[in-house]
Amino acid sequence: MQKRPSKQMAKRAAWALMFLAVAFLYGIGALFSASIVHGEEYRLKAERNQLSDTEISAQRGTIYDSNMEVLAKSASAWLVYVNPSKITDNEQLELVVSGLCSILGADEQSVRNKLSKTETGYQKIAGEVETDTKDALKAYLTEHKDKKLSTVVGIDPDTKRYYPYSSFASTIIGFTDSDDNGVGGVEMQYNDVLTGVSGRVITAKNARQGSMSSAYETTYDAQPGVGLVLTIDEVIQYYLEQSMSQAMVDTGAKYAYGIVMDVDTGAILGMTSKPDFDLNNPRVISNQTVAERIAAIEDATEKSKETSNALYAQWRNRTISDTYEPGSVFKTVVASAALEEGVVDLNTTFTCTGGIQVANHYQKCWKPGGHGHEDLTQGLMNSCNPFFITIGQKLGKETFFKYFEAFGFTEKSGIDLPAEANPVAGKTYHALEKMGISELSSSSFGQTFQVSPIQMITAVNTIANGGKLMQPYVVDAKLDSEGNVIEKTTPTVKRQVISEKTASTVAGMMESVVSIGTGKNAYIAGYHVAGKTGTSEKIGIEGAYIASFAGFAPADNPQISILIAIDEPVGAHGGGAVAAPIAGELLEKILTYLNVEPQYEDKEISSISSVAPSLINMTVSEAKNAASKFNLKVIGNGDKVLSQTPAAGQQMRTGGVIAVYTEEGALKETAVVPNLCNMSVSEANRAAVNAGFNIRIAGNTNSGEVLSYKQSIAENTEAEKGSVITVYFKSNVNVEDG
Amino acid sequence: MANTAVRNQRTAAKKAPKKRSDFWAVGKLDVPFLLLVMTILTIGLVMLFSASYTYAYYNEHGDSAYFFKRQFVFAVVGVIAMFFVSKVRYDYFKLFAIPAVLLSWFLLVIVLFLPPVKPGFHRWINLGLFTFQPSEIAKLAIILFCAWHMDKNHKRIIGKRENPSKFSKTVKELSNGKIVVYDSFAMLCLYGVIIAVTAGLVYLENHLSGTILIFAIGVVMMFLGEVKQHWFILIGALAVVAVVFFIFNPEILEKYAGERITAWLDKSYEPRGARWQTNNSLYAIGSGGLFGTGLGNSKQKHLYVSEPQNDFIFAIVCEELGFLRAAGIILLYVLLVARGVKIGLRAKDRFGALLAMGIVFQVGLQTALNIAVVTDALPNTGISLPFFSYGGTSLMMLLFEMGVVLSVSRYSRLEKN
Repeated sequence: MQKRPSKQMAKRAAWALMFLAVAFLYGIGALFSASIVHGEEYRLKAERNQLSDTEISAQRGTIYDSNMEVLAKSASAWLVYVNPSKITDNEQLELVVSGLCSILGADEQSVRNKLSKTETGYQKIAGEVETDTKDALKAYLTEHKDKKLSTVVGIDPDTKRYYPYSSFASTIIGFTDSDDNGVGGVEMQYNDVLTGVSGRVITAKNARQGSMSSAYETTYDAQPGVGLVLTIDEVIQYYLEQSMSQAMVDTGAKYAYGIVMDVDTGAILGMTSKPDFDLNNPRVISNQTVAERIAAIEDATEKSKETSNALYAQWRNRTISDTYEPGSVFKTVVASAALEEGVVDLNTTFTCTGGIQVANHYQKCWKPGGHGHEDLTQGLMNSCNPFFITIGQKLGKETFFKYFEAFGFTEKSGIDLPAEANPVAGKTYHALEKMGISELSSSSFGQTFQVSPIQMITAVNTIANGGKLMQPYVVDAKLDSEGNVIEKTTPTVKRQVISEKTASTVAGMMESVVSIGTGKNAYIAGYHVAGKTGTSEKIGIEGAYIASFAGFAPADNPQISILIAIDEPVGAHGGGAVAAPIAGELLEKILTYLNVEPQYEDKEISSISSVAPSLINMTVSEAKNAASKFNLKVIGNGDKVLSQTPAAGQQMRTGGVIAVYTEEGALKETAVVPNLCNMSVSEANRAAVNAGFNIRIAGNTNSGEVLSYKQSIAENTEAEKGSVITVYFKSNVNVEDG
Repeated sequence: MANTAVRNQRTAAKKAPKKRSDFWAVGKLDVPFLLLVMTILTIGLVMLFSASYTYAYYNEHGDSAYFFKRQFVFAVVGVIAMFFVSKVRYDYFKLFAIPAVLLSWFLLVIVLFLPPVKPGFHRWINLGLFTFQPSEIAKLAIILFCAWHMDKNHKRIIGKRENPSKFSKTVKELSNGKIVVYDSFAMLCLYGVIIAVTAGLVYLENHLSGTILIFAIGVVMMFLGEVKQHWFILIGALAVVAVVFFIFNPEILEKYAGERITAWLDKSYEPRGARWQTNNSLYAIGSGGLFGTGLGNSKQKHLYVSEPQNDFIFAIVCEELGFLRAAGIILLYVLLVARGVKIGLRAKDRFGALLAMGIVFQVGLQTALNIAVVTDALPNTGISLPFFSYGGTSLMMLLFEMGVVLSVSRYSRLEKN
């Protein structure tokens, strides 16, 4: 019984085949759609999944001071991550957790959280890990080799920023966050060039973050960041910071800030804003009292708010971000404008009766009863407000404003640091259109408007620099990774504000302010310091003052400008009493360091020191002859001088003590340092010599009524006989400056 | 009888007279069909190796060739089995028609009580050395049973006789002759029940695609077996209603299947990565473009396409070989089906015709479904690509079936040389 397939079946088979063909066509259509129509879209999506782009961080550029001392440097460190998808069992997990917590000090809860994300292949545990710690971790991983910990825990290269001098120049340098981005200061301003260009490794990765094969790998090398040479001079910066820290202690001020500028270029040689912070631990509150107060706060929100306030306060570079009323320091600007415009000359006189009527208001001079008859120089020396009101009124508001603008008070100084205060017309200063007689008058003696310290020093520097307004800067040069200079900053002259002649006239007036006026505490024998003091009450805070001093030296050939501001000193608050002595002390150190030759006037020579003669290898009698001007103390019974204190060449006063040792191995003789403060020059000298010491006089000794206020070796400490103790003098008479 | 005699004479003319054996098949097998099978199998093996080595490396303890080696062994054994089966007179398979159905039902029940090979899926029976899916046996069992039964009862299927069973007579009597149960309807019911039971058991395995495939094969068998045309209008209408119903109410299905339908309808659906498989499959196909990235160069097989050696192997094929070659491979399958149909239509009897056509349609349907899934034209149901996807027992089963077709071809009136 053969039952061959029927025709009917063939028909059916054809239908079925057709049906199947339709199904295949449908599939091919979908295939066409996926591979051709949407092919590009899917391919891109696939690539986004597959390609893993690993960044090779570029070494951040090094920051140097002008002497090529390293201020900030990046060093190799390590980054530890985990690959949670590789965890095989609980035992392994526990080993990973305990290892990471004990070796890296990581928080256990957060490590567990990260490890629980088993669908991911990468979770960062810690960055900036030191090599020692990394080695310890590696040893731990090797120790537990049998549990294959190294499949879960990975270590990648990372970098860490080091600041060798901790808090030194902290507000200028700034610091970096954990992603190596600059926060504040030069680190922020120059973040782009410091950062360099990160390299990239583009690898095709499989869904479990394992590499597919090297065929898909492309590497772009990292370009290291550019190095920066600052204009900051380590030594000057150190002096400045030391003075400001000392001023904080001495005056009990809230803040103390100062700027030292190179006159010709506008380069910043030193700049500080105390209190500052440790760059290596920027998030630690540096001020102990504040830190303790915040630690005691119980409310968490309050605490974190206070903490961040305190941190922002310590990071703030007040020399450029804060504004203050410049007070009498501003009179130098008004004098410059008036002399340049010819509305006054050095012979212009004024009689101060203790006040002046301005519109409906009687503006008193700071000195009750007035300064009487005075010429222009005396007016500046006395810091006479009514005199300067009349000068301002003579200038007229248009001219006044022209110079206000020209000296740079309506614009940012343009310094290459972040967060410079922005002057706003009608807010920080009087807009020309809104300026009436009252505003003009008060502005003329430096009140009712605000400037930043950097604006003020730039303006004063203009007087020092023959009338040229400079743009201040802190980065002197950029270096490539081999240390070659790739870009050198050229100083920018913004404009000629006043003529050279006017500038030197005002400089001469300012020198008088320091030699015999309110700035006399900034006087240094041998160096002609020009300056102006200022005191201003802080707006809105009763009894809070900013005492300031701005000036330059030497007056006849200015090299450095300086601005010192003591914010809210306790007790004495006048610029002449508080800021000027600091400026004087500082200028002396800086000028000596810069090898500026002192030029003593006859009058000064009598009071200055002699130089200790070299007595070594002389017989005792020879030595006595050679040191006839001095008080020789022979120690020991030998007949030849083996050593001497003070050393040959050291400055000391005639009649001072020289201790000479004649015996091999003799112990240095010591004595107790006496109190040398609150004395006149001769009293201090006597007290020192009696105790077997010498004094060196520093500060203002130009006027008769000076008193010592500080000694370099503290009272009651043991010191070698013959040691030179620097004693600082200042005047407390006629230094008020309104 | 006459034809066989002619053929025997012809054979005798060429070769030495051969004693007619009852068991061994005589005549030449169909070379084009054999070549198609071997070509697809070879391409499949190469692509399996390419697609699976990363997955194997990660999942089989660093042995990149794990899947390939095993598949290769099964392929060799399978090809030997295929030649052996092709030499067997296919008439003997009639003996297994009923036992095969019973065995597949037995195994389908057993598998439900065995520990699952994959969590939640009672699809595989683990025999230690390898695992196999009873549904693979069920597919062949349905084909075999239908072919045998439809051949034997052809007249009853197409005829207009009334059903002689007591039940039918009782129905007629009770309805006063108004309801007449025809034999053709009774046959339809029989096949319907057997197919439904088998498909139902497969559905209990959590195997939606297997269920659909069994239904489809059953419908094809009934269609080829010349069940009256009007019933297919009803079946087609029922299928449309079912599909529409499930698409609008996917939550009625088992959770995994329902979610996949939702994920198919909503291309941005993304809980627990329900579309992850499909999306990565599409990304692979898109990456291949017209000409492909070159053999071995797929990136998506690096653990993006899940189990690239399995249901989604065709995505890797498209990525590496490109659209044109992938379409070429599809064409090979179409040719395989067409050749199988030709073998069937020229077979010496209806049983052989139904057997050969049922088998090649099964392959064709499965291929079409797989491609539709891989290209997101149908919901992701978990269906393998014949000859390509990894699965030793499944490949052996396929090659066994190819052997059956070849056995049929020995008696087909085809142009052979």
